[in-house]
Amino acid sequence: MEYKLRKAEPRDVSDILRLVKELAKYEEMEDQVMLTEKELLEDGFGDTPFYHCILAEIQGENGTDDLKVVGFAMYYFTYDPWSGKQLYLEDFYVMDKYRGMGIGSAILKQLSDLAMKTRCTGMMFVVAENNESSINFYKQRGAEDLSEEEGWRLYKFHKEDLLKLAAPAEE
Amino acid sequence: MPDQVLISYKELQHDGFRQNPFFQCLLAEVLEEHKSKEGHTIVGYALYYYTYSTWKGPSVYLEDLYVMPEFRGKGIGKNLLSKVAQVAKEKHCARLQMSVLDWNTPSRDFYAAKGAQDLTVSEGWHFIRFDGQALDNLANEAPKD
Repeated sequence: MEYKLRKAEPRDVSDILRLVKELAKYEEMEDQVMLTEKELLEDGFGDTPFYHCILAEIQGENGTDDLKVVGFAMYYFTYDPWSGKQLYLEDFYVMDKYRGMGIGSAILKQLSDLAMKTRCTGMMFVVAENNESSINFYKQRGAEDLSEEEGWRLYKFHKEDLLKLAAPAEE
Repeated sequence: MPDQVLISYKELQHDGFRQNPFFQCLLAEVLEEHKSKEGHTIVGYALYYYTYSTWKGPSVYLEDLYVMPEFRGKGIGKNLLSKVAQVAKEKHCARLQMSVLDWNTPSRDFYAAKGAQDLTVSEGWHFIRFDGQALDNLANEAPKD
């Protein structure tokens, strides 16, 4: 089965949201996806995009001209004050049915090509520690688990605490 | 980990002050009469950038937060963090995230006291990175036929 990788366009937001939800389901956190197609459209295809997206597309199964989006990677650029620009991989997913064909590897290769071209010194992401197949996929390709090797832990402030933090200091 | 700092002043200038900057930086500045032993009036900083959550939308990531030891205990760190939270609020960001080293108990306590959650502990998230030779190899991998 042949596939093609391409940059996402505004018309792709419904496919992007569909795959975002499928990935969240795989991570057992489906009910946490609050984002809408409208927000994805504004945030990704407005004046200042917050993210970029690569899609993997295959020919429709019934030999029709229909193309089907079966995988995606969403990324953006972050900054490491020690070494400079980084490519941050936020979401990376290939539908179950279409795995084992090299789509994931091809997406990762295209991302690392892009990282080199844009002068990034690294490519980063988070993985859940129970996601053994993903962890092996990355470790086989030379990735380092910084949480394990250097002791980094990811912290988050939720909205309610964020608002409290943002409140002006009492005089 | 000072031997890991490879960036130059020129790169910081180019990356932070162009059309679409890769980072934003808040500085804590004291008056001339309170300057440090070496004569610095910039005594702390918070470096952050915008990220994107496919679940919640735009977020802020606090990459660096630092106050010179001489100036700690005066609320400068708290104020820098509040200012970053204000930016997040103004830009309608749903979250503020950062990473902390496991042995850095004062920082872990500082954030936990303000309501932050350690996602590595509570949800099992680990930070993964490809850099240097591994990134290079990945980029040069022969395509499958």
